[in-house]
Amino acid sequence: MSTTSEHRWAEKYPDLGQGPVSADVCISQEHHRREIEHVFKKSWLYVAREEEIAAPGSFKCKRLSFADTSVIVMRGKDGKVRGFHNICSHRGNTVVTETGEETFGHSKAAVLTCRFHGWVYGADGALVDVPEEERFYACFDKHANGLSAVATEVWAGFVFVNLAPEPEQNLHDYLGDYGVHMGDYPYSDLTHSYKYYTYLDCNWKIAHDAFAEAYHVTTIHAGSFPNVFSTGLSDVQLFGPHRTCAVCLTMDVEPKPVAATAQKHARGSLVAKGEGTMLPPTINPSGREDFAFELSVAFPNLLLHISEGIWFTHQFWPQAHDKTLWEGKYYVRAPRTNSERWALEHAQLLQRNAWLEDTQTMENTHRAMASGAKQYMNLQDEEILIRHGYHAIAERMDAAE
Amino acid sequence: MSNNLPKGFEALEPLAEAWGLPTQDARQAKRRASDTATLQEFYDAVVPHLPQILEHVDQFPLGELPPDSMRLFYISLALAEVAPHIELYRGDPGVPYSFEEERFVAVHGAETG
Repeated sequence: MSTTSEHRWAEKYPDLGQGPVSADVCISQEHHRREIEHVFKKSWLYVAREEEIAAPGSFKCKRLSFADTSVIVMRGKDGKVRGFHNICSHRGNTVVTETGEETFGHSKAAVLTCRFHGWVYGADGALVDVPEEERFYACFDKHANGLSAVATEVWAGFVFVNLAPEPEQNLHDYLGDYGVHMGDYPYSDLTHSYKYYTYLDCNWKIAHDAFAEAYHVTTIHAGSFPNVFSTGLSDVQLFGPHRTCAVCLTMDVEPKPVAATAQKHARGSLVAKGEGTMLPPTINPSGREDFAFELSVAFPNLLLHISEGIWFTHQFWPQAHDKTLWEGKYYVRAPRTNSERWALEHAQLLQRNAWLEDTQTMENTHRAMASGAKQYMNLQDEEILIRHGYHAIAERMDAAE
Repeated sequence: MSNNLPKGFEALEPLAEAWGLPTQDARQAKRRASDTATLQEFYDAVVPHLPQILEHVDQFPLGELPPDSMRLFYISLALAEVAPHIELYRGDPGVPYSFEEERFVAVHGAETG
């Protein structure tokens, strides 16, 4: 057996370098401001699954507080999904009354009506009805007062928006080979979901980084996944600003009674072996037996993971330089029987507990970094995705400034 | 409220009121508010019946359980919530070395069934 280089990823991607990474980019307010301007306001951002707005007239309103806005993505009677800022052309009220970070709704007529004075918009954004229209003046142009459009495109059932008035690339070109690599998974077949969110007092990159490596598995997950050992990353690939790898894990003990029963009744856990494959041929090209899941990042803030029978996302929405909305969404095939439903609950609760372990470090890290006592972070070869993340952000910001 | 369970599961009836909880949020809150001894007692009482519970609920189509079977199913879901704490966390009612659970919001947490 040939020996694998301890620095294989740095050797594969020498342009990323091997040096320490600045800690300042995680705590600086000025860096944060530039990141919002040059990264978040110009990148394609995942905001909805097509299944969430499956029927004509269905819509989702997603708050994007980093840009002081919310976007409505709505499916028209023509089946097309379009996006708009959630603001009425009359006096600026929200058209959709939001109930939180995500608000869902449906209109049989496929229209949006502002509750303030009853202005009505079509699913194409056009202003179609203004009560007492005759009392407005001659200068009022109904055609020029539709909803403000936001660039909206769909990839593999993922609805993305781009807040740039004219995005530099369409979504297909933006995702490039990443889209090819991750696109053929049957996401829409696995719609039984469990969703969590929390607000973390840390920079969004600290939250991203904690999930973007497997180096922490044996320490952080000693509680929920004891005897699960990371056997390293496999098939790291960088696609422009996007990145992916396979996380390989080995398990060396028999599960305890309840866990064993759950594994017998349904495949819903990352630490249980399944049979057959729903993974596209682009995944695990090395054919690793210990392949557990693909860990990928669609730049800038979507972690998308796929595995047999499970896919899940983490998203990190900056609220301030030291505040992040984290969302974790876990998808499995809908159970067919009550016992499967039970087994999925067990798997999902264990995953929740693992996420509780993952999120434990984030605020501590930010608080400690804010001391300024350390000027940089030291990254090892298996933390290549983190290194690439900082590299991709710097590249975007340098290009813009 | 009735604490009746289907025939054959009478032994679990004393647990029905405390643990036959319809939502994930409620089961999580119950686990967090319990001490180690209570979790261990619950685990020890239910685990021997788990295969029979799963067999029983599979006599009915998904989501169409009659009330006494539903109550039994909720007890099994509470076991799913509690089991990691006995099997992995040495009886700790919380997840050791974790983020504050009360700040971690389950969007689906109030759903029943």
